[in-house]
Amino acid sequence: MSTLFDITLIVLLIACSIAVVRLKDLLAATVVFSTYSLTMCLLWLHRGAPDVAMTEAAVGAGVTTVLFLIAIGRTTGHEK
Amino acid sequence: MIRRALIVVLLIAAAAPLMLAMSQLPPHGSSETPPYTHISPYYLEHGAEEAGAENIVTDVILNYRGFDTQHEVTVIFTSMAAVLAVLLLDPPGRQRAVQVQQPVPVSTVVRFIVRVLAPFIALFAIYVILNGHVTPGGGFQGGTIIGALVIALSLVMSKEDADALLPRKAEHLLQAAAPIAFFVVGLAGLFAWGEYLYFPRDEELRWLSTLMLIIIEIGIGVGGACVLIRIFRAMRAD
Repeated sequence: MSTLFDITLIVLLIACSIAVVRLKDLLAATVVFSTYSLTMCLLWLHRGAPDVAMTEAAVGAGVTTVLFLIAIGRTTGHEK
Repeated sequence: MIRRALIVVLLIAAAAPLMLAMSQLPPHGSSETPPYTHISPYYLEHGAEEAGAENIVTDVILNYRGFDTQHEVTVIFTSMAAVLAVLLLDPPGRQRAVQVQQPVPVSTVVRFIVRVLAPFIALFAIYVILNGHVTPGGGFQGGTIIGALVIALSLVMSKEDADALLPRKAEHLLQAAAPIAFFVVGLAGLFAWGEYLYFPRDEELRWLSTLMLIIIEIGIGVGGACVLIRIFRAMRAD
C-alpha cells in the first residue's frame, strides 16, 4: 500500500513535469507547477521529512506560484 | 579559431582535476564512508543529550553544522540583494517594455478564506519556529510560512493595509536578521568560551544551548520571511 502510494505520487510528478514543459499557456503551466510542488510535498511527508514538506508547501506551492503569476502579469502570458 | 581552441583547452584543464577528484570519491551509497561509519551514529546517539535540542535535525543544522547554516543564511541574504539589484535596475532613458495589466478584482470568497485562516496560519508558523528544537520544523520552515502568509494577505488587501502588516522600515531592518542572529550567538560563544559559535555541552548548561538555538531559529524565521516579502514587493514594484 505504501509503495503503491509512492508510485502513484511519482507517476503524478512525472506527468506534471511533462505537462509544465509542453503547455503553451503559461498561466496553466504555473498552476500545474504548483500541483507538482504539492505532490512533492506529499512525497516528502511520506518519505519521513516533514520539515522539508513544510518548506515545499510554503515556498514551492505558495510563494513561487505567486511570483510566477506576477511575472506573467507583466508579460504576455503565452509562449511563442 | 585560436580563441575557440583556447576555450576548449581551458575547459579540459578545468574539468580534468574535477573528474580526477570525482573518481577518488567513495562509491555512491557505500556504507564504508565516514558519514555512515561514525558521524551519523554519533549524532543519533549523543545529539539529543549534548546539542541542546531533542530534534536531531535541528541539532545537526544549527549546532554540529552551524557554520554551514550560517553561510547558508548569508547566501540567502546575498541572493536577495542580487535579485533586488536586477529588479530595481532602471537605467535612465529606458522605458519599461511591458505594460502592467489591469489588476483583476479579488473574489470575495478568496478574501474571506484568507482572512479567516490568517490568524491560525500565523499561530502555526510561530509554533513551528519556537518548537523547532523539539518537533520537525524551525526557523526556515516557520519563516517561509510567515512570508507566504503575508504575501497571501497582501494579495487580498488594499495596498495601505498590506503595507501596515509589515512597515517598510521594519522590513528593511529585519532582512538581515538571520545572519545577524547567527553572528550575535557566535560572538557570545567567542567571548564566553573562546570559540566562535560554541554551544556548551554540559548537562547543567543545556538550557543555554537551547536558548541559543531558539534565538537563531527566531532570527532565521524573521529574516527568511522578510526576504520573501521583499522580493514579492519588489516584483510588484510597489
